[in-house]
Amino acid sequence: MSAEMANEIKLISGRSHPELSDKIAKRLGIEVARTISLNYSNQETSFTVGESVRDEDVFIVQSTATGDVNEGLMELLIMISACRTASARRITAVIPNFPYARQDKKDKSRAPISARLVANMMQTAGANHIVTVDLHASQIQGFFSVPVDNLYAEPSFLRYIRENFSTEDCVIVSPDAGGAKRATSIADHLNTAFALIHKERPRPNVVGRMVLVGNVEDKVAILVDDMADTCGTLVKAAAVLKENGAKSVLALVTHGILSGNAIETLNGSVLSALVVTNTVPLGDKVERCPKLRVIDISPTIAEAIRRTHNGESVSYLFNHAPV
Amino acid sequence: MVRNIVVLGGNSHPALVESVCNILGLPACNRILTKFSSGESRCEIQDSVRGKDVYIIQTGFGGNGSKLNDHFMDLCIMISACKTGSARRVTAVLPLFPYSRQPDLPYKKAGAPLFKTGSENGKKDYTFDSVPATPAPGVPRSAGLVNGADITSRLAKTSLTNGTGSVSPVKQTNGDAYFGGNQPVANGVHGRVGSYTTHDYENVSHVGAFEAKPGYKQWVAQAGTLVANLLTCAGADHVITMDLHDPQVQGFFDVPVDNLYGRPLLKRYIQTLIPNYKDAVIISPDAGGAKRATAIADSMGIEFALIHKERRPTKITDRQNASMMLVGNVTDRVCILIDDLADTGNTITRAAKLLKKEGATKIYALLTHGVFSGDAINRIKASAIDKLVVTNSVPQDEHKALLGPKLDVLDISPIFGEAIRRVHHGESISVLFNHD
Repeated sequence: MSAEMANEIKLISGRSHPELSDKIAKRLGIEVARTISLNYSNQETSFTVGESVRDEDVFIVQSTATGDVNEGLMELLIMISACRTASARRITAVIPNFPYARQDKKDKSRAPISARLVANMMQTAGANHIVTVDLHASQIQGFFSVPVDNLYAEPSFLRYIRENFSTEDCVIVSPDAGGAKRATSIADHLNTAFALIHKERPRPNVVGRMVLVGNVEDKVAILVDDMADTCGTLVKAAAVLKENGAKSVLALVTHGILSGNAIETLNGSVLSALVVTNTVPLGDKVERCPKLRVIDISPTIAEAIRRTHNGESVSYLFNHAPV
Repeated sequence: MVRNIVVLGGNSHPALVESVCNILGLPACNRILTKFSSGESRCEIQDSVRGKDVYIIQTGFGGNGSKLNDHFMDLCIMISACKTGSARRVTAVLPLFPYSRQPDLPYKKAGAPLFKTGSENGKKDYTFDSVPATPAPGVPRSAGLVNGADITSRLAKTSLTNGTGSVSPVKQTNGDAYFGGNQPVANGVHGRVGSYTTHDYENVSHVGAFEAKPGYKQWVAQAGTLVANLLTCAGADHVITMDLHDPQVQGFFDVPVDNLYGRPLLKRYIQTLIPNYKDAVIISPDAGGAKRATAIADSMGIEFALIHKERRPTKITDRQNASMMLVGNVTDRVCILIDDLADTGNTITRAAKLLKKEGATKIYALLTHGVFSGDAINRIKASAIDKLVVTNSVPQDEHKALLGPKLDVLDISPIFGEAIRRVHHGESISVLFNHD
C-alpha cells in the first residue's frame, strides 16, 4: 500500500449497458467495480457497494436502455449519490446516450425542458464531470455548471466509410436541415459531395414532401444523423434518395435507439445498411435486423476516461478514433 | 370553490386525484402524461398555470403495469414544467413518499431473509489478520477503534466462528465500520460478505454472483436524501406527505414539508368498527413503531404491547420466530397491530403469528400505507390476521379484489383535500394533526 494506490480509476457499471462497461474496463485493463443494483419488490432501486471508493476517481457508466430510460436515470442518480456519500474524490458520469436530449427547449407553452432537469438532477446527485457522446444539441452542455466532454462518433464513422467505400463514389446526405452541419463536416473530411433533404411542413405535425437538394445519381448515398429512433424519417429519406437515382443508400447513426417498430420498418426499407455505434444497448436487434451493423465506440470512451483521469487533453479524440 | 389553484395528477393514483378534486370542487388540470416509444416521459400541461398555486399529486407506488421510477421522474418533470410555465408556487403532494424506507432486514423475494451460509466465501479470502481494503497505508489495524477494544476478541464472540455467519441487519449509510468507531463492531462486520440486504425479484442469479471485495463490508445506498434533493432541484416549493417512515426525512428538505397523520383515521376506525375496543390491546410489531402505537393507545386509554425483534445473531434454523418476543400480555384479547407501512408484509404476518400463539382472540392490522409488493397478498391471505385496514395512499383496488372482505380501505382524500385548501389559504394545518 502506497500513496499512489489511492485515486485510481473505479469503473462502476449500471444495469443498462454492462457489455459496454466490460469493453471499456477491458480496454483500460481494470475490472469493473464490485457493485450491484437491484430493484426491490416495491420497485425501489437499491444500489449496493462492495468495495471502497474513498478518494478514488469514480467513473459511472450508464446508458439509456430503450423503454427503460427513467429506471436507468434513477439508478444513475442513486449511484452518483452513493459514491458521493462514500467520499469519492471525483465522480464522472459517463452517459453515452444522454437521456431526454431531445426535450431541450420550450417548444410550446408549459413544455418541460427535461434535458435541463436531467442536467440539474445529475449535479444535485453529485456528479463532478460528464462524459457523453454526440449530444443531440451541443447547447445541452450549457445546462451544466460542471465540465461536459461531448465526444464524437465522427472519427469512427470516417474510418468506417474509408474502409468500406471509395470516397469518390459517395455522397453524404443529411436527412434534415438541422443535421446539415454534422453531415457537411464528414463530407469535408472525406472530400466528397454533400446533399440535403428538405422536409416541407405545410402544417405543424404534418410531414409533407421530402425534397432532395443536391445530386446523388449513381452514387452511394450515406445518410448521417445523430439518432435513429422509430426510423421513419430515415426510411423515407432513403426512399427519396433511391427515387433520385442513388446506387445504394446506407445510414450512419450514432445512437441506435430503435424503439417501436423500428426493426420492422428497417427490414422493409430500401436502406442497404444501418450503421450504429454501441452507445445504446441493442439487445437482440442485431439478430432481428440483418441490415444493422455496429461500430464499437468503447475505445473512444475508454481513452476519454484514461485522459480525463490523467489530466490529459481530450480534444485529440475529436479528430482521431483509437483502434 | 377554490380559486387560483391547479391540481395536477400523475399517473400513479388517478382515483385519489379525482376525489381530492371533487372535495376542492374543481376539475383536475388537463395534461398529457405518457411515454415516448423510446421510453422517455412525455409531459404536456394543457391548462395555464401562470401565477397559480399548483398541487401535483403523485404517490410513491408502482404497480398495475406502471413503474415507480417512471412516476417519480414524471413528478419531477411536471414540477419543472410548472416552474418554467411561471407557476407561483408548486407543491408536491406525495401521499406515500418514495424511497422513505429502505429495508433494514436482509430479505428476498419470499420476504424471508435471504441467506447464504457465509462459510466458504466469508472466510475464503479473509482472515482476522487481514488488513481492511479501505486505504490505510501504514495505519495499525486497531488504530481505528476509538474505544480501543481488541477487534479480534470482539469479533470472535460473534457466531461467525461457528460458520453460521452473522445475520444482524445493520442499517448502514457508511461502509467504513472500522473507522466509524461508534459502530457496534461485533455486529458482523465481515460475516455479511455472503448475505444480502437486498433482493432482486427479477434476477436472482444476478444476486448470487455478487460478492463484495474481501474485507470490505458491503452497504446499501440510502436514497432518501437524494429523492428530497431531486424534488427541490426540480423546483418543488413545498411538500405534503403522510406518515413518513422516518420523520427525519423532513429534515432532508430545504423547503417546508407537511407530514400529515393517518392516525385520526385509524383511531376513528378503532372506535367505530372494533367492538369493545376498550378491552383490546394495541401492538407495535417492532420497536421502531412503538412511538406511533403508544400515541394511539395513550389517547384512547387502552393497553399497549410491543413485539421485540431479537437482533442478536441466532442460529438460522430457529431465527424465523424465536427472534421475536412479545412484551406485554395478549391472552384472550383482541389485538390491534399498528404500523405505518407494509411492503412484503413480513413484519405484520410474523407478528400476527406470534400473537395467535400467545393466545390472541382476534387480530386487526391497521396500516397507513399498504404497498403489498411481491407475494405480500398471498402471505397475508395465509396469515393469522383477521382484518387488515389500510388507507388509499396507494391504489388499493387490486388488493381489495384479491383480499376481499379481509381488507378495509380508509379514504384519505378528505385529509389531503383539506390540507391543500388550508395550505393554499395560508391557514394552519396543525388542526389536522390533533383532530380526533
